[in-house]
Amino acid sequence: MLTASHLTRRFGSRVAVDDVTFEVRAGEVFGLLGPNGAGKTTTLRMLGGLIPPSDGEIRIGNVAVARRTAEPLRSKIGFLTETPGLWDHLTVEENLSVYARLFGLSNVGGAVADSLKRFDLWARRNDRAALLSKGMKQKLALARALLHDPEIVLLDEPTANLDPETARGVRDMLFELRRRGRAVVVSTHNLDEIERLADRIALVSTRLIAIGEPAVLRRQIFGRRFRIRLLAIAAAPVLASVAERAGAREVRIEADGLSMVVDVPERVPGIVRALVEHGADIREAFDDQPPLEDVYLKLLATLA
Amino acid sequence: MNTRRISAIVGKELRELRSNPSVVLPVAILVTLCLTVPFLTLVVIPEVTGDSLAADRTLRQIVERAAETSPRLSALSVETAVEAFMYQQFLLLFLVAPVVGAVSLAAYSVVGEKQGRTLEPLLATPLTTAELLVAKVVAAFVPSMVIEVAGLFLYFGLVALLASPGVPAVLVNARSLVLVCVVGPLGALAALQTTIAVSSRVNDPRSAQQIAVLVVVPLFVLTIGQIAGAFVLTVPVLLLIAAALAIAWMLLILLSMALFERETILTRWK
Repeated sequence: MLTASHLTRRFGSRVAVDDVTFEVRAGEVFGLLGPNGAGKTTTLRMLGGLIPPSDGEIRIGNVAVARRTAEPLRSKIGFLTETPGLWDHLTVEENLSVYARLFGLSNVGGAVADSLKRFDLWARRNDRAALLSKGMKQKLALARALLHDPEIVLLDEPTANLDPETARGVRDMLFELRRRGRAVVVSTHNLDEIERLADRIALVSTRLIAIGEPAVLRRQIFGRRFRIRLLAIAAAPVLASVAERAGAREVRIEADGLSMVVDVPERVPGIVRALVEHGADIREAFDDQPPLEDVYLKLLATLA
Repeated sequence: MNTRRISAIVGKELRELRSNPSVVLPVAILVTLCLTVPFLTLVVIPEVTGDSLAADRTLRQIVERAAETSPRLSALSVETAVEAFMYQQFLLLFLVAPVVGAVSLAAYSVVGEKQGRTLEPLLATPLTTAELLVAKVVAAFVPSMVIEVAGLFLYFGLVALLASPGVPAVLVNARSLVLVCVVGPLGALAALQTTIAVSSRVNDPRSAQQIAVLVVVPLFVLTIGQIAGAFVLTVPVLLLIAAALAIAWMLLILLSMALFERETILTRWK
């Protein structure tokens, strides 16, 4: 649905985005990860048709985003900018109704009312935007970005400033967008959140460092790590050798058991059986999922 | 151009104005001054001092020169002709007042959006640069014109009430109509378009106001030159000025579109 091919963006001599290529499918939540200044916001702005790329191409469906096509294509895109950018002197309802008109909605009142109810802003509809809390402002900005039911949703830090309950509401809403076949691109620093949200992630630091499903990236970086918790740790060194002989590698002795890489998942039952046969009292055995943060930091470290 | 999108932005600007009415204060003050100064000069001061304006020789000469091209003026007595001439000249103030006021509104218009960080979400909509700029001009133009029209009605009403008989008839003529209904609004539009162009290039509303206020200089020259009798603005001359202003406005729309760089605004504004 949304394709970015060899996207490059230069500001004078500075290269903000360098040869980034990815595709976002309908019904997919795609996470853009990267440190500050990595070019995430610039990438979103190019995807949203706000600034043109210096090189490369963006396509929405079969249409290339160009100066001539950007304006009509923008009606297919919902863009949540880094800052809410609300008109403080206008009420919550007025903020939305202006955008409903700009997007050419036929039933402005109905669309605004639905959006206010959906985002739990109905009770505050007559309040000036300036009076809202940071979280409420972010909710209103999100409501504004989704008001015209766009096919493509670009979100720059969507849960910034939100309390956990509201952040969860936003996540649920993004899942709903995915169910309804929308292509969603989320740029964030929040790794826990992106792990819960995104079907695939792209790590960018001016260039594209890695792209894929979080679980796949994790396996690529750390292998398929398996963890065994033992009731007694005393025999751990012996058991580590047993595990290695049974097909595990990189076996580490942890505080409460063993951690190992098992490249072939079918070998896991054999390893467990061998450990039990050598007297291991296994309390728990499970796939060890290193946090996405570890994947992120390791990938960035490879850059350095 | 999509008129629905333009009217959405105009409506938004007017609603912002409604919730912050103090921003129209400069226009209101100027129009009040335009209403006060003529009657202070032509009614109150002569009444208090007992001196007639017609006693001033230079002024009398200017009026006599003007009367040569105005049969209505020449049909009046010298005293009434001077009074009518002065009321005509004070009418020119109504050209300057709305422009000065509206410029202060418009100067904040784009730079205000930048400061409030409201421009980026706006630029993410199908709204075109031309639509945005025209909407900003119209939104500053409408309230200033409403105040000006109200002021003019009051002015003509007060002239009818306080001036000597024969003066209102001189005042209501083709020249005044062209001046007030055509030259004034077109001048305001051109000035506003210039202001918007300036506003989209600067980062501080004060800079925008200081630069933009220069657009009233030609109007001041026109007003002072007319009052001093340096030239007489006849109907054909006014129509020529109106045509020039209309062309200037169109060119200024194109210029402000060229000066409005979405990219620079988005990426360099901090």
